[in-house]
Amino acid sequence: MKSTLKNPYVYAMFVLPTLLLYCLFFIYPMASSSFYAFTDWNGLEDYKFIGFDNFTTAFNDPDFRNAIVNNMYFILFSVFIQVPLIIFFAILVGHVKRFQGFYKTTVFIPSILSTSVIGILWGFIYEPEIGPLNKLLSVFGIDPIYWLADTKWAMFAVLATNAWQWMGFYIVLVLAAILAIPREVNEAAEIDGASGRQRALLITVPLIRPIISVVIMLSIAGAMRVVDIILVMTKGGPVGSTEVMASYLVNEAMGVDPNYGFGTAISLIIFAFALVLTALYQLTLGRNQGGND
Amino acid sequence: MKKSIYLGITLILAASTVLSACGDKSDKSSTETDKTQTATTTDTTEKTDTPAKTEDTPKKEEAEPFTVSLRHIQVSDAQKFRKAILDDVVKKTEADVPGLTIELDGVEDQVNRFTKLPAEMAAGNPPKIFDLFGGAGDALKYAKAGRLLDLTPIIAELGIGDKFLNLNQFTLDGKVYGLPIGGSTEGFFYSKPLFEKYGIKEPTTWDELEAAADTLSKNKITPFAMGSKGAWVPNMLVNTLIGRYAGPEAIDGFPAGSQAWNSPEVVAAFSKYQEWEKKGYFTKGELGLEYADMLNQFVTGKAGMMFDGSWRSSVFKDQAQAGDLTNQVGFFTMPGVPNGKGNQLAVNGNYSNGYGFSADLKPEELTAVKAFIKNMYSEEMQLRGLLEDGLLPSMKLSDESIAKVEDPIVKQVMQILGNSGGAFSHFDSTVASDVYKESESQIQKLIAGKSSAQEVADAMQKVQEKALAAAK
Amino acid sequence: MQTLLKRTQPAIRNRVAVPKPVKRVLPHVVLMVYVAIILFPFIFVVFSSLKQSNLEIAAHPFGFPTKLYFHNYVEAWVKAKIGVYFWNSLYLSLSSSAVGVLLAAATAFALTRMKLLRTSKVIYQFVLIGMLIPGNVLFIAQYMLVMKMGILNTHWALFLPYTAGALPLSVLLIAAFMRNIPTDLEEAAVVDGMGAIRMFLVLILPLTMPALVTVFIVNFLGVWNEYLLANFFISKDALRTLPTGMVGFRDSFQTNYALICTGIVFSVTPVLVLYAFLQEKIIEGITAGSVKG
Repeated sequence: MKSTLKNPYVYAMFVLPTLLLYCLFFIYPMASSSFYAFTDWNGLEDYKFIGFDNFTTAFNDPDFRNAIVNNMYFILFSVFIQVPLIIFFAILVGHVKRFQGFYKTTVFIPSILSTSVIGILWGFIYEPEIGPLNKLLSVFGIDPIYWLADTKWAMFAVLATNAWQWMGFYIVLVLAAILAIPREVNEAAEIDGASGRQRALLITVPLIRPIISVVIMLSIAGAMRVVDIILVMTKGGPVGSTEVMASYLVNEAMGVDPNYGFGTAISLIIFAFALVLTALYQLTLGRNQGGND
Repeated sequence: MKKSIYLGITLILAASTVLSACGDKSDKSSTETDKTQTATTTDTTEKTDTPAKTEDTPKKEEAEPFTVSLRHIQVSDAQKFRKAILDDVVKKTEADVPGLTIELDGVEDQVNRFTKLPAEMAAGNPPKIFDLFGGAGDALKYAKAGRLLDLTPIIAELGIGDKFLNLNQFTLDGKVYGLPIGGSTEGFFYSKPLFEKYGIKEPTTWDELEAAADTLSKNKITPFAMGSKGAWVPNMLVNTLIGRYAGPEAIDGFPAGSQAWNSPEVVAAFSKYQEWEKKGYFTKGELGLEYADMLNQFVTGKAGMMFDGSWRSSVFKDQAQAGDLTNQVGFFTMPGVPNGKGNQLAVNGNYSNGYGFSADLKPEELTAVKAFIKNMYSEEMQLRGLLEDGLLPSMKLSDESIAKVEDPIVKQVMQILGNSGGAFSHFDSTVASDVYKESESQIQKLIAGKSSAQEVADAMQKVQEKALAAAK
Repeated sequence: MQTLLKRTQPAIRNRVAVPKPVKRVLPHVVLMVYVAIILFPFIFVVFSSLKQSNLEIAAHPFGFPTKLYFHNYVEAWVKAKIGVYFWNSLYLSLSSSAVGVLLAAATAFALTRMKLLRTSKVIYQFVLIGMLIPGNVLFIAQYMLVMKMGILNTHWALFLPYTAGALPLSVLLIAAFMRNIPTDLEEAAVVDGMGAIRMFLVLILPLTMPALVTVFIVNFLGVWNEYLLANFFISKDALRTLPTGMVGFRDSFQTNYALICTGIVFSVTPVLVLYAFLQEKIIEGITAGSVKG
């Protein structure tokens, strides 16, 4: 009688297409990466095994080490600058009564747009001579800043663009959690004479800790993944000042002198970094949160 | 390894015949070519078309529609003349081959050469017809990997095998794998109105050049427009500086191992670049500017000079692109440098940009490729390239054709070539790709002030030595 | 947290110190500034797209165009083939998200509702491994894979990795939702002799609709905006998607900012229109998705 839900053939029919596609485009590439990472295959000539050469080359390359550092900047910027701002704005939106829907809808807009279009758009905003940002600054007598051409500014310019794109998304996320806090909690606090600031810090923030922890995790994952915005805006330049691991990977594997072996080695390194960060996160921040679901 | 010198010499020889033709139409210095060429010109394309057409006629009834992909780099306004020529060739080829549709795919030059094409070559799926650069890092590398169609029999069949001025950068083991579309040299364009305004003469000596730069700089005009986001742009200037300081032989000497990148004379070239950089002679924020921005800087009068290839000349006769600077631009070659090695009149000369074809062709695609070659590499199109696009021909042209050149910059370029007595190519076509790649990252470090000239030279030498060792 | 305190203090302190009306207005002022930062680039781009040249943009960067110059729109449409890119993006996004949702739903059904529990547990864990792998890690290996499959430079080269790439998260979300559906319904159905396939299609799918919509929207936007694979797996202009088409367009008309702005307007408008109609659904869908993820 229950056989239909136990029928292995029916079961297979439901599961196999997904598994096939998943194995073909996840598991097999991962496995083949682990293979090619130890070769010098460039696509044009026959490859040979070169042991750990690709890995030592990568870590001996100051440009790659620089890319790792830049990834760290992305992570630090997202976690220590973006996340507090996100919480601040979310609380602000959560506590206003008028225009709440308007704020929510508006701040979310950038996150539905294509990163590459945003890159092009901001490339224009940063344009040193006719771009609006420098025009605006010139009103205050500030000399033109070569945002994307100056090694001192390029990273900041990209980080700001990235923040512009994603902050609204996280704000809406946190906002959903804030709005889910029972009204009575706040009202009770207000009666007890808690100020707005005290309520925000002592009541709201602790209550939305789970979602903050999710936002931090997503920010870290996002920072590890970042590449589109860099390829579109700076291609990792000037002089590697915005190069991250993934853009280094793309430039090495698909650039002037393509090297798939080296490229796959880099991707394994990125994977390892991602795993380590996830583990670190689970051991520290993620620990007392339990499951998020 | 003396290829590129030979190459330069052919360019110069070509230019001198050109010049003499310009000067005196009755001059018969190249009578031999003259006759054959005039024959083809008078016949125009009608007659030369016939053999190919008869070949195709049997296929006409069963003309299955098919497409051939063609990658070109004529995507911006500055290349509209060249694109017009390409469009006509495509139209003609489609008319010649029944069933054929040529699918044009325009990709920006740098993206094509340094990103798309290498990836496609590695993947083994390049377009059937594509824009290709000659030299060790491009055509020869792909030819070695068996990715390029051997054109030797085709150009023999079409009878154009001996018409090309120089095929060295596309020739591997005696076989031809690509066909240059034109020749070029790299030098300084300058704005006549700005020079006049500040009382600067066209520089003929090194001191005059630096004095000119100094004068412009003092008047808040950028001496040299520059866009270094794509490192190949500053590398043009670096290349000619090396040709001056280390001599024309240096460019071929790098891959041969006979010239060290960190020798004092090459370091001197990098040092000069660095010195100009420190003096603020290049556009501010150049590392964020593209090649197109460099031109923009120049035509809008923000910069007085621009180091660029002669292929840019057609822009300056086009009101839509050059604006107030239309027909107000001069061209001069880099003057000899003090204590420079070798011939200080030598010029950079390239026959390196053209078309290559995929080795993987179906019979009907091969027919299409043949028709394309026949239509593209004809006296008519070469002449149009010269007249409309200011691109020096890559094939021998009749004196009569060449006498039609009126563009002052093109004439000047030809004059310079004629006087040079020697030439050197660009190291981007002589050194291996990994060495070239390093040069791109190093020049940007130099520009950003992150590396000194000596450090750049040492880093280059290190990679060059590795490449030499790997080649053995 | 330290940074958070510093960041939030000033604004909140003001709220405490100042009289009520100001206190009520202040959050709005802060939020309006943020909204202005979000919206300004769009307005700027629209204005610029209607200006004749860089000169006009440079002269009045913030002003309304002196004379509306619509020629850019004609030119951009013709030169950039934005219609083609748009169509490519649309049908890839629709087909890949639809197929992905269907596959994931089928798998989730088998995993949560069918009675092969031990197998289900193993498969579930196996699929979740995919969530640990950042997308760009697989980039080179997937490139080699589609190259070997001979589908490079066809839309299959994007459709398959896109669909596969969305599977782990989709399975996770839909399975989580399906678990909460009470089992009484299908027990009754089994008694009625309903087969597993009909049960899935007729009974479970309609009940899972909210989760399916969420997953569909998340996947749709992901594909719609994807740049990295689209850039390297497709090189024919006629097959390009909007993100890569736009970058190519920018590369070709680098110094013509008015025209580039027109391209941006073209590519952004449809998304904004869609967003205007579906914003509730989209925000809800994405927040739900991310919170779970």
